[in-house]
Amino acid sequence: MKILSTAPHIKTRRTTRSIMLDVLIALLPASIAGIVYFGWQAAVIIVISLAAAVLTEFVWYLIEHKVWRDARETVRAWAAQFDCTSLVTGLLLALCLPAHIDGWYMPLLGSIFAVGVVKMLFGGTGKNIVNPAIAGRIFLFISFTAMTVYPAANFGPLGEVSLDRLQTGATTLTSGLQGGEMLSNLDLFLGTGVAGCIGETCKLALLVGFVYLCVRGVVKWYLPLLYIAVTGLFAVALEGFDFTWFLPSVLSGGLILGACFMATDYVTTPKSKLGNIIYFVALGLLTAGLRKTTGIEVVSFCILLMNFTVFLIDLAIKPRPFGYVRSKKEAKK
Amino acid sequence: MIVKPRAFSRGIHIAGHKSPTEHLPAERLPAPSELVLPLSQSVGAPATPVVTVGQTIRRGECIATRSGAVSADLHASMAGEVTFIGPRPDGRGGMTPCIVIAPSAAREDAFLAPLHDPSPEEIVARIGECGIVGMGGAGFPTQVKLTPPAPVDTLILNGAECEPYLTCDDVLMQTKSEEIVRGAKYLAKALGVSRVLIAIEKNKPEAIGKFFETDLEVVVLKKQYPMGAEKQLIYCCTGRKVPLGKLPANVGVIVQNVATAFAVCEAVEQGKPLIERIVTVSGGGIAQPKNLICPVGAPLSALAEACGGEQNAVKLVAGGPMTGAALTGEEAVVTKTTGGFLFLTREETNADEPTPCINCGRCADACPMKLMPMQTEFYTNAKEYENAAKYGGVLACIECGVCSYVCPARRPLAQAIKTAKAELRRKS
Repeated sequence: MKILSTAPHIKTRRTTRSIMLDVLIALLPASIAGIVYFGWQAAVIIVISLAAAVLTEFVWYLIEHKVWRDARETVRAWAAQFDCTSLVTGLLLALCLPAHIDGWYMPLLGSIFAVGVVKMLFGGTGKNIVNPAIAGRIFLFISFTAMTVYPAANFGPLGEVSLDRLQTGATTLTSGLQGGEMLSNLDLFLGTGVAGCIGETCKLALLVGFVYLCVRGVVKWYLPLLYIAVTGLFAVALEGFDFTWFLPSVLSGGLILGACFMATDYVTTPKSKLGNIIYFVALGLLTAGLRKTTGIEVVSFCILLMNFTVFLIDLAIKPRPFGYVRSKKEAKK
Repeated sequence: MIVKPRAFSRGIHIAGHKSPTEHLPAERLPAPSELVLPLSQSVGAPATPVVTVGQTIRRGECIATRSGAVSADLHASMAGEVTFIGPRPDGRGGMTPCIVIAPSAAREDAFLAPLHDPSPEEIVARIGECGIVGMGGAGFPTQVKLTPPAPVDTLILNGAECEPYLTCDDVLMQTKSEEIVRGAKYLAKALGVSRVLIAIEKNKPEAIGKFFETDLEVVVLKKQYPMGAEKQLIYCCTGRKVPLGKLPANVGVIVQNVATAFAVCEAVEQGKPLIERIVTVSGGGIAQPKNLICPVGAPLSALAEACGGEQNAVKLVAGGPMTGAALTGEEAVVTKTTGGFLFLTREETNADEPTPCINCGRCADACPMKLMPMQTEFYTNAKEYENAAKYGGVLACIECGVCSYVCPARRPLAQAIKTAKAELRRKS
């Protein structure tokens, strides 16, 4: 007896796991840059966050599949179905934490919240309503004061965070928004001397990863660029068409990390092409607008807010098949 | 001469897997010990048997006639004796009414008289008498297609053969281009059209070369799946879009497969009914992949034997791997629409379990009809078929299988769409 199924009988080699591995590879440059800039603390945060994320998913699976019936079989089944999504969540969460934190329990709690509550409670991979890493970061942000203080990136010996350069009130962008001193665009691009999260300071590393994702066909190149461009241009418009604001708005804060790696999360973006364009333009407008009105960095909040609108966008857009005739719709009216 | 290949938007590129058989000339299958001819080999009503058990028949004799407007005659593909009329396994787990023939060594043909310079009416009548159906896979009776509901001005010969593995049309085009051209001219005469195009994917350079020598207009197509789908093919060849729910004739086009044109040529010039066709036997699970000229009704076991037997095949497919039907075993037979039999190994079929949808949108990006397969599957699983039609656009689906092919989560999207379509049809 042969296998029976409906057509098609052949399939692409691409799997969910291979896509998630590509995202992890794309985040490598930013992770390395973070460790170089912020020292061994950054590495420890990344490792704790990754381990906590995977362990949370593992424990959830064990409970869900009643491990006490056959422990070895359950663990093997878990390994077979493990799709690396929790690794991506853990790494992204670590990359948007400051290197200087209250204690090692912070990435641990964040990861457990992100994977356990935001993802698994809603049904696991593909079922979460909001991006788990973003939700984890915001959970930590509203729980710990450390999340409002960011050390500046430096090329000092590994293991030394230059505490004297700690900045309160979030990022460089914030100081700029509040009328303070601004760094040069090149510094913002390379992340040297920029205060920020582990993964967001070095824009060069992020863009290298983004190019890799585009080449591998994981994300559509125009969506993050749309978000970034709309944010920059709207910021310019809000400052009375002062175009010197464009590059600082684009290069500072978590915009590039958020646009390239977080907002593009498949699960929490609309399904259709048109829906995605609407989503990313709205994100850009919201980000620039909220940055101007609140004076703090808001990329993660904007993504969280827009995540809730995804299902509305999906319900509003209906497919127009090849050969669709407009007159039919008008006749119906 | 540089020709820019024509393409449509979306669709995908699939590895061809055609190299094992694309340069093998078609061999004749050794005479099988039994022929099983299903009475239903085309769209429409099954044929009605006109022979009785024990009757001796000649090759080419009509053994079942059309019943109803959309139906096709059936002819004996070898001389012999009728041994059984009734249900036989169809190879897909069901039973289908068949006429079984025990072939004899007699080489007596009962073909019709050849036609010389036939009129359009004579051509259409001859095609009906010879039981010709669309040989690309759908199997629509050709004489019905030649009386279109709207005036047509273009005939397209479909030589795209976009399905991986299959090379039956390719080898036919390489070796029988003259006959295909003459068949196309008979079809054009029957339809009263002046413009005849032959459309071939660019991965068949030898076939393209053959037709550049003839006076047909050759359209070179990009290697893109599903290029052979009627609506996509018409768009690539003429720039016309078939409106939803309409037939190609509504935009003035009729599409015929190249193998159909060849069968028409034989029917007109030799009076030979559609009793044999080229079948590609391929896949990693067969010892020697081949193109075989098979009589209609030849059992798959005879084809497998002629190709050295199967090895490690986990899946048997009748037709192409994207749209063909999976078979339970070797009791399947060659029909008028069988382009190939594939013996697929575990590595080729990739029979993974479905994992949750991650909403990546690859299915929608690849859909040649610009539908939303993930929405369809979501609503079909919830048994909300109206919403599946509203948000997924199910009713426009051409069932090419692209969505399931590209899905990284291995979701059975095409299956869900077929379910939704069947449910919606049942309700209306």
